Amino acid sequence: MMLAQQETNLPPTISIKNLSIDYKAKRGQVQAVRNISFEVDRGEAMALIGESGSGKTTIGLGVVGLLPPTAKIRQGEIIYRRAADGKIVDEIDVLKLNPQQIRQFRWKECAMVFQGALNAFNPVLRISDQFADTASAHNALRGMALKERATEILHMVRLDADRVWRSYPHELSGGMRQRVLIALSLLLEPQLIIMDEPTTALDVLTQRNIMDVLKDLRKNLNFSLIFISHDLSLAAELADKVSTVYAGKIVELGDVYTVFRNPYHPYTIGLIHAVPTLAGRKEDLTSIPGSPPDLINMPTGCKFHPRCPLADDQCKTQEPDLEEIGKGHRVACWKWQTARETLKRFKAS
Amino acid sequence: MTAGEVTQPKPQGFRIQDLPGKIWSNYVLRRIVRALVIIWLITTIIFFVIRLMPGNAFDLMVADMVVNRNMTEDEAKIRASSLLRINFNRPIGEQYLEYMSNLAKGDLGYSFINNNRTVQELLAQKLPWTLFSVGTSLMISFTLGMLLGMIAAYKRGSWLDHLITNFAAAMDAIPQYIYAIVLVLLLGVIWKIMPVMDMKGVLSPGIKPGFTFEFIWDALMHLRVPAFVYVLSTVGNWALSMKSSTLSTLGEDYVTVARARGLSDSRIITSYVGRNASLPLVTALALSVGFALGGSVVIESVFNYPGIGLELSKSLSNRDYPMLQGIFLITTTSVIFTNLIADLIYGWLDPRIRIAGGE
Repeated sequence: MMLAQQETNLPPTISIKNLSIDYKAKRGQVQAVRNISFEVDRGEAMALIGESGSGKTTIGLGVVGLLPPTAKIRQGEIIYRRAADGKIVDEIDVLKLNPQQIRQFRWKECAMVFQGALNAFNPVLRISDQFADTASAHNALRGMALKERATEILHMVRLDADRVWRSYPHELSGGMRQRVLIALSLLLEPQLIIMDEPTTALDVLTQRNIMDVLKDLRKNLNFSLIFISHDLSLAAELADKVSTVYAGKIVELGDVYTVFRNPYHPYTIGLIHAVPTLAGRKEDLTSIPGSPPDLINMPTGCKFHPRCPLADDQCKTQEPDLEEIGKGHRVACWKWQTARETLKRFKAS
Repeated sequence: MTAGEVTQPKPQGFRIQDLPGKIWSNYVLRRIVRALVIIWLITTIIFFVIRLMPGNAFDLMVADMVVNRNMTEDEAKIRASSLLRINFNRPIGEQYLEYMSNLAKGDLGYSFINNNRTVQELLAQKLPWTLFSVGTSLMISFTLGMLLGMIAAYKRGSWLDHLITNFAAAMDAIPQYIYAIVLVLLLGVIWKIMPVMDMKGVLSPGIKPGFTFEFIWDALMHLRVPAFVYVLSTVGNWALSMKSSTLSTLGEDYVTVARARGLSDSRIITSYVGRNASLPLVTALALSVGFALGGSVVIESVFNYPGIGLELSKSLSNRDYPMLQGIFLITTTSVIFTNLIADLIYGWLDPRIRIAGGE
């Protein structure tokens, strides 16, 4: 991040501390997010990786205050810091904003690009109107200035700006719509962008195309990114840091190279082995046995123990906390020191 | 155009054989042509029903006049022919052409019971009152129903939602004549809030039709109770439709994204939720307007309101076939026309409908 370097001494764009979010369901409390803490520095990209239903999206929705009415934030804080001219000009405690303030906060400070953008645009309004709606909701650009800015960012996502500007959403393909949404997220120059599975539901070529666009944007613009995905390879391509989320909790967090080269948590190891590589042999592929836990009746101890070949009595009764095991590398596992070796031996036998 | 593409020579100028295709590819023209074809089909069917079917209107009229008016069969036939404007001595093809050309000229024949008055004259007299009464009531009912439906959807699960939904369902289930009778009884007899005479008819005696405040005010005063009955009996349906439509729209991704974009609630309610949720109701509204031109038989009968509905029930009991034919023609064509208008409005409201060449 060329631009980011001069700002690295600034505090993080967003700091999430001890965040816990529950959903009310008929059967009881769904513990979607459990005591999660992480930070995303200026210009940094953090990937949240996990299976569906692990609570990744809930974190994103929590940051922009779009949780459904059944959700309740039990504890924690979300601090967002806006920087300008090399210093912090505003520090916002997101959870304390009133409805009017959170409305202003959304998109202006933190834009969220959702999965399944096929349906992200109002079908009866032209793209130009939807850009104008967004701008006027924040008393931002209008008229020619808006058009110019839109043309600029639509070019950035490699779209024919003139054609897209006049189009209705149904006249654009899925990949184009997703790129328009990404362009729209840049409109107000937010310092934080959350992308929730931005390439899911798109074909492989379109997915490739969008990943290239995102990499370009990261190179040329200075924003912090939270990239939510279940796809490890995409995360590896785009992110600086990775967090593996399991049962609403971060189980491993670290620099993207470290985590991929030297994963310590059996779940992260499992995820890496579950992804096919072009050069790898089919026999090397393993899936993680079992399925994600029921977030209402969670297992005792480490939530991963029912699926973990290494689990012993301690794992079944006590839940491990994140533990610093290297520079910026943290793991929540009792067996982290031996996990990789033991798993290798299991596989061999 | 890419290099690999085969370039076809573009057709030069206008060619008559392209015309049907061109009309068909244009959304608006296609709808209009379709509406006209349906109207032609319906008028043709009506002609054959009146003229050819066993137990048809012509035979019944003749039999009626022979029995009740002491005419000979020939006299009765001549009279019926002149009333229905069909000359039965000519071949069927010519009769059909004559009937169609009369229709095109707006000539619907003579009323059976109102001597020497043409059907079109009578309809022209009744239609404005029906348009005024049903039109006003329908607009109130539709607007109110949309509002209530949206409130119920926005406050889903709350006591307000339960109140609106249950009341709407109950009101939708009660037939119009019950509302009418109960209202007349409560307002006029039990509570004596307004004289029963004020609920009847369209105008107080002595008021001259014209563009005066007095006239409009009096007409509105006489409309109060009939309109109230109409609104009570239809608002529930609108509210329930709007509620379910709004609920499904609220679940759409673009509403969530709009909120993530920080749009104001009012903008989201009107342009994102309201506009999309009301799309399915436009067709229903157009159908209602179409049927409304046929008047509301129950309401107009109870309140003695001289619109098309009352005329229909009078004509039915007097077996005034030319009049019935006229009313059916008016109702069916208006349903088709309002449907056409709905299609056009729909295309304007929903750009996804404007396919291939419409814009």
